[in-house]
Amino acid sequence: MRNLQLAARWVGATLAERHGVEVVSRVADFETEYNLVRDSVALTDFSFLRRYRLPTDQGIDLLDGLLPGNVARIRYGRIMQTFMADDDGRLQADCYVANNDEEMILLCEAAAPDDVMARIIREADREGIAQDLTDSHVLLSIDGFRAWAVVRDLFGVDVLGLPYLSVELYPFEKEQIYLFRAGKTSEFGYLLMAPLSVADRLFETVRDAVTRQGGGTCGVEVHDALRLEGRFFNIHAEGLVVGDPLVLGLQWMMDFEKSDYRGAAAIMRRRAAGLSRKVIGVLASPGENRLGIGTHLFHGADEVGEVVADAWSPGLDRWVALAVFRIDMAYAGLAFALGSPQGREVRTISMPPIMAKSFSVKLDEM
Amino acid sequence: MGNANFQALIDRRMGIIGTLKQELIKRFNLPFTPEDLHEDVSLLGSGLGLDSLDALEIVLCVESCFKVKVPDNSIAVLRSINSLVDFVICEQDGEAAAR
Repeated sequence: MRNLQLAARWVGATLAERHGVEVVSRVADFETEYNLVRDSVALTDFSFLRRYRLPTDQGIDLLDGLLPGNVARIRYGRIMQTFMADDDGRLQADCYVANNDEEMILLCEAAAPDDVMARIIREADREGIAQDLTDSHVLLSIDGFRAWAVVRDLFGVDVLGLPYLSVELYPFEKEQIYLFRAGKTSEFGYLLMAPLSVADRLFETVRDAVTRQGGGTCGVEVHDALRLEGRFFNIHAEGLVVGDPLVLGLQWMMDFEKSDYRGAAAIMRRRAAGLSRKVIGVLASPGENRLGIGTHLFHGADEVGEVVADAWSPGLDRWVALAVFRIDMAYAGLAFALGSPQGREVRTISMPPIMAKSFSVKLDEM
Repeated sequence: MGNANFQALIDRRMGIIGTLKQELIKRFNLPFTPEDLHEDVSLLGSGLGLDSLDALEIVLCVESCFKVKVPDNSIAVLRSINSLVDFVICEQDGEAAAR
């Protein structure tokens, strides 16, 4: 297993393994961590993502041949969300690709072990241009309604002008660290990538700044729930269960004019055949138990869907889920029976069902 | 189950979705077919990546296609195609009830 480089900083937290990589699963109870993100700010360790640096001039071609997104169209200073598929067009990693002038940064959240991901990159990288930063750098995630105040305190007020999905370098001690404005919690989110030489000091500095804003630390379990609530794609939940990016609605991450990336032939074949299933949101009634991954959904006597991800939503005070439905039934606003034709009623909904507080923050109020 | 008329609900929603997708693809020159656009995809920020100027165009699109008025500061309505559909249905039902 690949251990977290900052494991000593997470003493007392619950650690877990995801595809051979250590993650901080939980630090406090779920609702406490949820409220940190929704009401203030939470720091966690995202070093489970693999990370690479490539020179832009050669890196664009390499990444373009690997990923379905159009890497050549990423403007300087901006980030594109896309994914990596296997030869069958099934999801292997959720990816951020950042264009930072002379270099491209690839962040991969994989549903595959490190050695598989390393082999994929190695096979694509015939000229050996990709520098693997996974062991030499850490990745910290700062998310929450007050996350902007933390990065402002660290890097100055200019940071507030960074748009969502952008990248910038900032000095920290004697190093340059990367700040990615990203995140999948619906609240403000920032990823900091720093070399190991300053990782401990950065962690301390960020944690102190987070504490000053009334925040704390959290694990990835609460991030999973926040992603589902916000309908952000989660490779470790619905991504792993469904596998097909088209069924999951990830077409927006793809450029259909491209035909030469990994898994392209299989994806284009399925697209031409048309979708027979689609993932949509489902909401339990208040007070009802969780929906349960793998539970079937019925319309009359017909089985028409299956739950593929679920999470407790403190914001809604009930369970929320994603389910893959037969395409002719995949609409919001309908009632289905859970588990059997006589099962309890659940309703399909428009996602996301919550409105994050961060949407109400205006730049001149920061 | 609590669906007064299951197929009628689907048909109504499908009609609004179809109109909205065609209009969004045309107005923003999106490189997708209607089938490629998931109804929950985020319109602003990530997802389709439209900006605040585009948000105004979406409002105009909804108002002209469905003869409804989108209130100012209605960012929640503009989150996705599905949230736009919910708004249109709600407005149409409200007008029908008022008549």
